[in-house]
Amino acid sequence: MYMNTNTRIIAPEFDFAQPKSLDEGFALMDEHGADARLIAGGTDLLVQMKMERISPAWVISLARIDELRAITAGKGLSLGAMASIKEVSVAAPVKAGYAALAEACNAYSTVSIMLMGTIGGNICNASPAADTAPALLAFDAVAVVKSARGSRRVAMADFFAGPGKSALKPGEILTAIELPEPAAGSGSAFLKISRVVADISQVCVGVSLVRDGDRITDCRIALGSVAPTPIRIAGAEAALGGQKGGDAVFDKAAEIAARDIKPISDARASESYRRHAARIIVRDALKTAWQRAAEGAAK
Amino acid sequence: MLSTEFKSVGDASWRKDGIAKVTGSEKYAPDVSVDRMWFGRVLRSPHAHARIKSVDTSAAEALGAVCLTFADVPQTRYNERIVSTPPCLYRDRTVVADKARHVGEALVGVAAPTEELAEKALRAIKIEYEVLQVITTMEQARKDGAEPIHDTVLLDGKDKPIVNNVAVQRTIDVGDVEKGFAEAEYVIERSFKTSRIYHAQMEPKSVVCRPEIDGGITVWASTQSIHNTRILLGQIYDIPLSKVNVKKVMLGGSFGSSIQMNSVTPICVGLALKAGHPVKIATTREEDMHDHVRYPSEIKLKLGMKKDGTLIAGEMHANIDVGAHNIQAFPFLGGLGGFWASLYKLPNMKYVGTAVYTNKTPSCAMQGFGAPQAHFAVECLMDEIAHELGADPIDFKLNQYVGLGGTFWGQGPASKCIIRSDGVPELLKTGAELIGWDKRPKPGSQTGRMRKGIGMARGFHTSGVGHAKASGAEMIDYSGAIVKLNEDGTVDLIQSLMDHGGGTNHAISKIVAEELGVPTHMVGLSPCDTRTSLYDVTTHATRGIYAGGAAALKAAKEVKAQIIDWAARVLDVLPESLVIEPDEDLGQGVIYCPNLAERRMTVGELARYLHLNSLGTISSSQSMRQVNCPPAYVSYFVEVEVDTDTGQIHTRRAALGSDCGTVVNPALASGQLIGGLSKGQGYALTEDNQWDPETGELVSKGFWVDGKTPSMSESPKVGDIDTHFAHTYEPTGPFGAKGLGEAAKNPAAAAFGNAVYNALGIRFYEIPITPEKVLAALAAEKSTKSRQAAPKAPAPVAE
Amino acid sequence: MKKYTVRLTLNGTPREYSVGANELLLNVIREQEKLTGTKYGCGIGECGACTVHVNGKPTLSCLELAVSADGADVVTIEGLARGGELDPLQKSFLDNNAVQCGYCTPGMIMVGRNLLDENPNPTEDEVRTHMRGQLCRCTGYASITKAVMGAGSAGAFRMPAE
Repeated sequence: MYMNTNTRIIAPEFDFAQPKSLDEGFALMDEHGADARLIAGGTDLLVQMKMERISPAWVISLARIDELRAITAGKGLSLGAMASIKEVSVAAPVKAGYAALAEACNAYSTVSIMLMGTIGGNICNASPAADTAPALLAFDAVAVVKSARGSRRVAMADFFAGPGKSALKPGEILTAIELPEPAAGSGSAFLKISRVVADISQVCVGVSLVRDGDRITDCRIALGSVAPTPIRIAGAEAALGGQKGGDAVFDKAAEIAARDIKPISDARASESYRRHAARIIVRDALKTAWQRAAEGAAK
Repeated sequence: MLSTEFKSVGDASWRKDGIAKVTGSEKYAPDVSVDRMWFGRVLRSPHAHARIKSVDTSAAEALGAVCLTFADVPQTRYNERIVSTPPCLYRDRTVVADKARHVGEALVGVAAPTEELAEKALRAIKIEYEVLQVITTMEQARKDGAEPIHDTVLLDGKDKPIVNNVAVQRTIDVGDVEKGFAEAEYVIERSFKTSRIYHAQMEPKSVVCRPEIDGGITVWASTQSIHNTRILLGQIYDIPLSKVNVKKVMLGGSFGSSIQMNSVTPICVGLALKAGHPVKIATTREEDMHDHVRYPSEIKLKLGMKKDGTLIAGEMHANIDVGAHNIQAFPFLGGLGGFWASLYKLPNMKYVGTAVYTNKTPSCAMQGFGAPQAHFAVECLMDEIAHELGADPIDFKLNQYVGLGGTFWGQGPASKCIIRSDGVPELLKTGAELIGWDKRPKPGSQTGRMRKGIGMARGFHTSGVGHAKASGAEMIDYSGAIVKLNEDGTVDLIQSLMDHGGGTNHAISKIVAEELGVPTHMVGLSPCDTRTSLYDVTTHATRGIYAGGAAALKAAKEVKAQIIDWAARVLDVLPESLVIEPDEDLGQGVIYCPNLAERRMTVGELARYLHLNSLGTISSSQSMRQVNCPPAYVSYFVEVEVDTDTGQIHTRRAALGSDCGTVVNPALASGQLIGGLSKGQGYALTEDNQWDPETGELVSKGFWVDGKTPSMSESPKVGDIDTHFAHTYEPTGPFGAKGLGEAAKNPAAAAFGNAVYNALGIRFYEIPITPEKVLAALAAEKSTKSRQAAPKAPAPVAE
Repeated sequence: MKKYTVRLTLNGTPREYSVGANELLLNVIREQEKLTGTKYGCGIGECGACTVHVNGKPTLSCLELAVSADGADVVTIEGLARGGELDPLQKSFLDNNAVQCGYCTPGMIMVGRNLLDENPNPTEDEVRTHMRGQLCRCTGYASITKAVMGAGSAGAFRMPAE
């Protein structure tokens, strides 16, 4: 129902804190509990608040906790939760080893949003349409979650609980996202379909596969905007595992993906268009990843 | 015409408001603030159709707010767009409503010292609604027993009953259409549908009102006419016009959405008068989206022709959805019919236009008025006929279009004129060469994933609604201008005519400079308001340069005559022997006698002489109506690339031609064409406002997330867009100029439709042509092909 | 509600404000400073009209809490022309007639300036990618694209004295 919202301002009042360390942040989270929301780049949270979908009494900013910004490459890759989408997109190890993630970041609606928005914020909003989510799922990323009571690691596949719902428990902060080192012969790709370029996806896909000669030895396929959460399509992955790569198996996997997703019709696209488009971009992303895997091996 | 014979007209000077705009110092209505200013908000209906049973503002008032309810406002109905004359003016609204007729209808105004407090007060207001049947489609609206949205409207002082929610109906008959169809050897009929898009002007509508100590008001508002805003506010609040002053501020785009006085303007005035404080209302984007959209249309078009394709009869039924209020359906229907009548020669025609109320955001003018809708139907159908006959669409159209010597209906039956300039053949020839028309693929011949196609459509817009009638006109159309010579030889141009951004005011300053013989930079655009300027009807109907420029030229001619007269006395020569020309080195206009070289002086020297000798100010104040409304022709050639896997359509290239007569601002004119392409592309391919058919709510809730307008990414590359201008001279326009603005978009949707046909061999009769529609059509074609041996579409029905 | 002290540098000048946590940087700039070149367009980060530079980066001031900008270096469109001279990009906008109604222009120029700072001679594709979030309804973008690409050679323009 039309609510007489006012996006010129943020109508509801709230308090604000800007901790300088994680410990300070944990203390604030524990103190304010469910009344508090964490803010990273704010490009989603403040929109939600302006649309009056949420109205927290406290907003706690993570912007001043420096340790959350680091992008470090070792055996794999660790992305600080507060690294901006732009920083992730241009980081050399991302570009070198995680093409699908770089592409997902670059598909993020606009450059200003890329600069303001963070990788952690994108994941914690748990939007089914989050561009980085299918890429992170395809890389089998792990969320590093900390609280005053310790830390735990959550597989990306377990991180999304529903639209706007993540696996974070009260008092927890996502500190980093870790991506395992790509196996030799890996290739990945991300594709997105949207009404215009600077828009939320109608459907998006991240794929990552490992190629051994003409065989696919491992594969992960994840889609966004096709279910209540970003999802992996086990059936499509299984159809490819151990198979010879090529148009026929890619088409087959794409068909399974289109069948197994659970899209809805909304203002951006109909359910049937999402299924159709999913088939196209899963197929195309697989082809690209397959090609890239060969190029990677040739280097 | 790109002319070298003029000095100022056609020059490449920076637009006069340019520095202010690139430095952020230009002021738009949302930027205005005055001392002691309060902030206003508007409580809008969450229901699409509901009676207001009670309004309780006590809690808001307890917070210190002032509220404006239906009980506080004058209850005489008005129409917010007073361009039409009283017999054509359908009045159905009040400042705030006593019945919600669409989601977002303004019900209560609230003002408080800060926006935050106004916001709190707004939320404290309690309204009890009696919810009524919600009508979201024209079909529902016209059913017997459908809930009436308006029982009556006020027309020329009398209550006019509204039956079956039909707001207005207009018919036009030319010749004998039955006889025409009886003689036709081929008849073709198609149904078209155009969408209800949002103007998406960058500036949300805003207004500041300051009550004055003498009982008057000063108003800064988003508007396309400061004078019409003044007249309406004077009428509504019963204030003599001498005490109503509306200030001219820059428009942040408008595209027709402020021809009418926007809903917040009279609310702001009411609040300011009640509060005794200046009040500002700067609308939110979501309010703005609930305030105006383009008229959507359903058009059934039937054409009858001879075997060779010569048209002899036409019948059009156009239904338009006006939404909750009838802002301008009467002129719109006249315009749609008139534009159709002016595209191709039709000896016999019948037109029935019907406007229907629904419980949705009120529709209003948007760049092109009824022309984009008419062009989409006519230009697509003419393309289809040409293909069926095996003719080149360019030749087919050139053979039958209404051109030189023909009659042009400038926005309807009430404004007609003889066509005296016509660049159509040149436009189509040049456009065809630039796009590579002869190399376009055969429709339906491609088989790959990506398929390219080239489409062409032509058309026009009117240049103003000038007419020759002394009385009984449907529309008011005149402009005024004051031109005065300053004491240093510079010139002030004082004109209330609004510039939407296309550079109209800058162009008119060039027209004045050209006439006076001074360099462009010497003519200044004065800030102005309704108290210090002459009436101008509004910047609509592509009339700015043609009509407003003509008024300024008339004043400049008078000023020039006075300059020459005085200079002749000072220089002791006959006035007829003098000329004035700009001297760029001196930065001045120079008055001299070609036969006596030593008899010369600058305009500045003359001005100083007049000043120091107390001889008075040279000035002229002129008002005029154009008696013509020449067509501003335009041609569109676009190339699209269709991705048959995703259904997405990409715009690859375009060649856009304009016959605007003399081109006053060449680069800005080119920019207007490209801007028209961008809006046209959105209209044709992506933009659509979706409504919930049950609740009448905007699916987007007014957040600018849907109805996506094109960005740089969706636009063709710079080198892939050509613009060109016909070499014509309009004898009735200032220095040969006619209009351009709205023409820049009118044929766009048809050109895209025809280009998609060229790529796929499939016709689309409904815009936007979304990926989903493309895929559905491809799938349907595939199943038809697999069922039928002969894939050829059925030819026009022989009668 | 609690007020917070925010100290920042605005167009080179240190400023201090007392704001509520819910106040937006956009409204501090427009309402308190009366610097109205920065525009409200959509309120939700879809149009780019409110773009300013925060610590050198284009930032949507309609989605930036004023409290978050504590300690920042903020530059608005009014701060681009320095010492009476237009920024070359501002001049290029005029040379290329990239301004029509002008409402989107400040945001366009702020984002274009950021691109040119990173990449003084961008290709057309780079301009299109970088500026896809800046909506303009008037121009169709061609003149704006040209203005950004041509800024490197726009030269200087000294404004008439105020």
